[in-house]
Amino acid sequence: MDAIIQLIHVSKWHDRRAALSDVTFEIEKGEFVLLMGASGAGKSTLLRMLIAEEQPDEGQIFVHGKNVTKLRPSEIPYLRRKVGAVFQDFRLLPKKSVFDNVALPLIVQGASEKDIRRKVTEALRAVDVDHKNDQLPSSLSTGEQQRVCIARSIVNGPVVLLADEPTGNLDPERTREIMELFKLINARGTTVVVATHDPHVLKDVNRRVITLVQGVLLAEHRVGEGVGG
Amino acid sequence: MRRLFYLVREAWVNMRTNRTTTIVAILTTAFALACVGIFLLLYVNLRNAAGSLQEDVKVMVYLEDRLPSEQVRELERTLKTDRMVDGVLFISKAQALGEFRVQFPSESHLLEGLGENPLPASFVVTLAPSFRSPDAMKAWVERVQTMEGVAKVDYNQEWSSLLAGLIGYIELAAIGVGILLSAAAVTIIGNTTRLALLARQEEIEILRLIGATRTFIRIPYFLEGAVLGACGSALSLGILKFAVELFRQQIQLTGRFSGIEGMISFFPLSVCLALVMAGMGLGFAGSVVSLLRVGDGRA
Ligand SMILES: Nc1ncnc2c1ncn2[C@@H]1O[C@H](COP(=O)(O)OP(=O)(O)OP(=O)(O)O)[C@@H](O)[C@H]1O
Ligand SMILES: [Mg+2]
Repeated sequence: MDAIIQLIHVSKWHDRRAALSDVTFEIEKGEFVLLMGASGAGKSTLLRMLIAEEQPDEGQIFVHGKNVTKLRPSEIPYLRRKVGAVFQDFRLLPKKSVFDNVALPLIVQGASEKDIRRKVTEALRAVDVDHKNDQLPSSLSTGEQQRVCIARSIVNGPVVLLADEPTGNLDPERTREIMELFKLINARGTTVVVATHDPHVLKDVNRRVITLVQGVLLAEHRVGEGVGG
Repeated sequence: MRRLFYLVREAWVNMRTNRTTTIVAILTTAFALACVGIFLLLYVNLRNAAGSLQEDVKVMVYLEDRLPSEQVRELERTLKTDRMVDGVLFISKAQALGEFRVQFPSESHLLEGLGENPLPASFVVTLAPSFRSPDAMKAWVERVQTMEGVAKVDYNQEWSSLLAGLIGYIELAAIGVGILLSAAAVTIIGNTTRLALLARQEEIEILRLIGATRTFIRIPYFLEGAVLGACGSALSLGILKFAVELFRQQIQLTGRFSGIEGMISFFPLSVCLALVMAGMGLGFAGSVVSLLRVGDGRA
């Protein structure tokens, strides 16, 4: 199988402290990977580098066949259209309706009216908030906002979906639902990477787990094969 | 297309959210451009005036006394074939005297005592329109003055060269003021769009993260700049039009300089449109310059 994400000796310093040191791993197409680690371990930093929001100080990163560390600024938007991202703080536009928020990645690419309507409706149905199309994000519950954010990240059929602490603000029941949602998205062929410090998410996931400890890649294992928990 | 609609709406929303800044920007731009407009109006009107003055610019070529008719005809032929000359009219000594009597009946007795008719024969020359500029006229006069049989060449050069000089100054002033105040307009609008952009950093960040190109993000601000420029320019034309009408009315009321109110003209529609377009261009330039200065990191 092809590696869709590849990190080669990646290091990153923040204020002379290593946020990531010499991290090397691969994620293959279609995989579902959990990126574990305590707060400050470097999970967000790693995800940000995958969409060229940050650049590593050392090493190379390949995403979907492109060397992300060598992209020209004008190429970055096109990378981000292939890699959907779910943010810890949602980052929804507060003055735009749920529908418009989810439509944004399509509008940005110049999709047709018809395509937009169809794909947004589909995405909102997939995350089960299609009955709140016209509401503003602020009128939704945290879990619903998280779902809208996920809908936006999958609306244009990304190859990879990155989710940073997607269950951080949710109770265990909602956490389970969101993880189920990611499994569904993964089942349709999208490579999914979920970063979290919450051991609860491991409960019903039988997946590959990558663990970071203070920026160092600690261990790789599969939950359900006897390690971790 | 949905994208176009989105961009236009964003620009509109921007302007509505920062209503005060938008209005202030339009007003200041309008006043700056109105100042430029005053000079332009002055320039256009003086040019018109100069044009109508030059239309009846006639050059008098006085002939030496007792010039043989042979030579008079020779001179007339030379003048008529000159490419700078439109028309030549011969006025004999007798005709000159007759005209003098008609024009100044009470003074005609002055000539009686002189016995013989003292008025010279002359050619009244109308120059071709393209040679009515003061410089061309001067050159022509100097050339004709040296011709055999010509006693003196006369024309009302003071007026037209004075006016030409004045127009030259106004033109310079218009260019100077124009550049200065256009730069001011560019800066004002640039600052306005930059403020709008800075106020929406968070939204812009989100757009960037979901794959919007820099151009896409910037277009609403460019549009905003262009619209502000066009509005400011249109408003300045309104102000000027109002001022011109007021001026005309004042002249009519006081009765002084009556007659010139008909000569004061406003810009024709095509020029008005061109000026609005120019304002639009200035606004666009302002937003481009200021967004380029904001730089890579933010938009
Ligand atoms: N922009 C920044 N400037 C300075 N230091 C930073 C910056 N971003 C991250 N760091 C530091 O880098 C380290 C890794 O941060 P990161 O956000 O990647 O951790 P994390 O694993 O995502 O933590 P959390 O679970 O709390 O989100 C931390 O020590 C953090 O303080
Ligand atoms: Mg984080």
